[in-house]
Amino acid sequence: MEYNGSAIIAMKGKNCVAIAADRRFGVQALTLSTDFKKVFQMNERVFIGLPGLATDVQTLYERFRFKTNMYKLREEREITPSTFARMVSSTLYEKRFGPYFCEPVIAGLEKDGTPYICTMDLLGCITTPADFVVSGTASNQMYGMAESLWEPDLEPEELFETISQSLLNAVDRDAISGWGAVVHVITPERILTRTLKGRMD
Amino acid sequence: MPITHEYQSASPVKAPVEHRFSPYTDNGGTALAVAGEDFCVVAGDTRQSEGYHINSRYQPKVFQLSNGSVLATGGMYADAVTLVKRLEQRLEWYYHQHEKKMSVDALAQMLSVILYHKRFFPYYVWNTLGGIDGNGKGCVFSYDPVGNYEKHHWNCTGSAGHLIQPFLDNQIGFKHMQGIQRRFLTPEEVVRIVKDSFTSATERDIYTGDYVEIFIVTAGGIDVQRVPLKRD
Amino acid sequence: MSDRYSFSLTTFSPSGKLVQIEYALNAVAQGVTSIGIKATNGVVIATEKKVPSFLVDDSTMEKVSLICGNIGMVYSGMGPDARVLVDKARKSAQEYKKVYHEEPPTAMLVKEVATVMQEYTQSGGVRPFGVSLLIAGFDDTGPSLYQVDPSGSYWAWKASAIGKNMINAKTFLEKRYSSTMEIEDAVHNAILTLKEGFEGQMTESTIEIGIAQLEEITTKEGKKEKVGRFRKLTPSEIRDYLANIA
Repeated sequence: MEYNGSAIIAMKGKNCVAIAADRRFGVQALTLSTDFKKVFQMNERVFIGLPGLATDVQTLYERFRFKTNMYKLREEREITPSTFARMVSSTLYEKRFGPYFCEPVIAGLEKDGTPYICTMDLLGCITTPADFVVSGTASNQMYGMAESLWEPDLEPEELFETISQSLLNAVDRDAISGWGAVVHVITPERILTRTLKGRMD
Repeated sequence: MPITHEYQSASPVKAPVEHRFSPYTDNGGTALAVAGEDFCVVAGDTRQSEGYHINSRYQPKVFQLSNGSVLATGGMYADAVTLVKRLEQRLEWYYHQHEKKMSVDALAQMLSVILYHKRFFPYYVWNTLGGIDGNGKGCVFSYDPVGNYEKHHWNCTGSAGHLIQPFLDNQIGFKHMQGIQRRFLTPEEVVRIVKDSFTSATERDIYTGDYVEIFIVTAGGIDVQRVPLKRD
Repeated sequence: MSDRYSFSLTTFSPSGKLVQIEYALNAVAQGVTSIGIKATNGVVIATEKKVPSFLVDDSTMEKVSLICGNIGMVYSGMGPDARVLVDKARKSAQEYKKVYHEEPPTAMLVKEVATVMQEYTQSGGVRPFGVSLLIAGFDDTGPSLYQVDPSGSYWAWKASAIGKNMINAKTFLEKRYSSTMEIEDAVHNAILTLKEGFEGQMTESTIEIGIAQLEEITTKEGKKEKVGRFRKLTPSEIRDYLANIA
C-alpha cells in the first residue's frame, strides 16, 4: 500500500454522493507522474476508487470493467452500487491467500436514488458508514479532516467543497500522495467532475 | 555398536527463557498549540493509556511552568513528569541567579539542550512549548525526544496528531482557501477550533478522549478550560 | 472401440429433427398436469399430487420446490429428472448469492436452468431431461412465470400449463385469464383449471400450490421492508381455497 501512495475519499450528501482521489503515481519517494487515474466510472451511477499498488489498481479496474459489462449483457440492467460492492468483495476474497494490494472505495446512487458509499479491506470485508469513507496512505489525515468538516444533508456544491478541502489538506501532510486531485459529485441528474490543482511537493 | 537415540536431547540444560525489560512505554494522548498575535493556546487531552488499557481519565500532561509558559507533553508520562521537574528546578535556579523569569525563547533553547544531553538514553517525550515571547507575540515550539526543535505558528503531536494537523493547516493557516483575507484569529476562534479538533479526533483515535484541557496564555495570565470529551 | 462412437444420443435425424427431444416431450405429456398463472401482484404455480398406491405417505411428497427466497418451481414429467434440476437450480441460486449477496432475478435463474437442459441435448453420454418446468419468481421487475422445456428453450407466460392435460388446461386458462387478476383470484383459477380433468377427489393432500409475492420482512437493522418471497401454501390454506370452490 505504501509502495505507490494514494488517497481516496467518498462522502454522502443530500441525494448525492462524492468521490475524490489524488493524482500521484510514484515509486516510494520518487514521483513519476501526476495524472494517474485512480477513480473509475463503472456506469452512470457507480464509481470506484482504487487506492493501493498501482499494478493491482489497473488490473482490478480491467476485471471490474469486464465483470460489469458481462453483468449488463447477462442481466439486461445496470449494476447498482451495493450489488457492485458485493461483487468487488467476492472478487477480492477469491484471492484470500495472495491478495490484491488495494482497499477500494465505492460511491454511487442506488436505483431509487439513495446515496451509497462503502469501503473494504484488501480481502473484501465491506464497511458502509452513514457519513464518509477514506482509504489510502493519507487515511489518518483524511479521517481528521472529514470528521471535522462533514455534516449531514450537504447539497452537491457544498459536498464538493467539503470533500475537496478534506482531501487537499490531508494529502499535504502525506509525503506520498497529492500532486493534484480529481473530484466527482454524482447527482440523479448529472455527474460533476472537477480536476483540482494542489501543492506539487 | 552403541544404540544412539536420534531424538534424545543434546544438552541437559533447558532452553533459557528470556525476560527483557523495556524502559519505555507509550501512554498515548494528543497535544496541540496555536500561536496567536498576542496570545497562545496550548491544549491536551487528559486520558492516560497503556495499550488497550486506560490508566486514568484525568491525568493532565499539559503543564504550566513558573515562567508563564505552558508545556504539553506526549509519549511516556513518567519521563514527562521527570522532565518537567528538571525544567522547574532550572527555572527556579535561573530566577534566583538572574532575578527575572526565563523568557520562553530561552526556555525553548534550554529544553533542547536538556533533551540532547540524554541523546543516548532519551526522555521518551514529544514536547510542545507555548507562551508569549519577549516581543509580546504568541509562540509555539515543538520537539522530538532528542531535542530537535522548530518554531511554529501551530502544531499538533501525539496519537491523533496525524488527524488534527491538516485540520489546523486548513482552519488556522487558511491552507487551500481562496478569496479570503489571511489574518490572526482571536482567542475565542482558536478555542473553538481546538475543541472541534479534539471532539473529532476522539471519534477516531482510541488514545484520545475523556477531557481536553485548554490553556489560553495572554500577557495578563493563563486561563484554563476543561471540556469533557467522549469517554469511549 | 465404444469411445469412438460416444456421440451425443441426441443426434439430428436427416429431416433436421432431434427426435430424442420429441421423445422427452412425450414423457412430459404423460406427466401429471401443472399450472402457472401470473397475477398483477404475484404468481401461482400448482400441481396435482399423484401417488402410485394409497399406501404411499403423500405428506412426504414434494413437487413444488423452493429454489431460493424469491423463486420456486414445479415440474411435469419424470420426478427423478426434476430432482436433478432442482438441485442444480438451487446450487446456481446460491452461487449467484455468493457473488452478489442478493437473490437472483427470476430471469437469471431460468436462464441458468435452461442452459443446463440445453447441455443435456448436446453432450455425449447423456439424454435430455424428461421434464418441463414452470418457474415462478418475484424480483425487482415484479412477478414472472417461465416455462422451460427439455430442449432448453424457455418463455415467459401470463399463464401456462404443462403435462398430461395441458391442451385442455390451456384452453381453459385462455377463457379464464384476465390481466387485472390478483393473486387470490389466480390461486382460485389455478385450482379450477386443475380440477378440469382431475381424477379422483381433490383435497389439500392431493394438490400442491406455491406462490411468489411481496412480503414484509424485518431487516437486520430492524427496518420493515417489502421483498419478493416464494412460499408453499400450507394444507390448511389449500383447504380454505377448496372450501370456497365447492
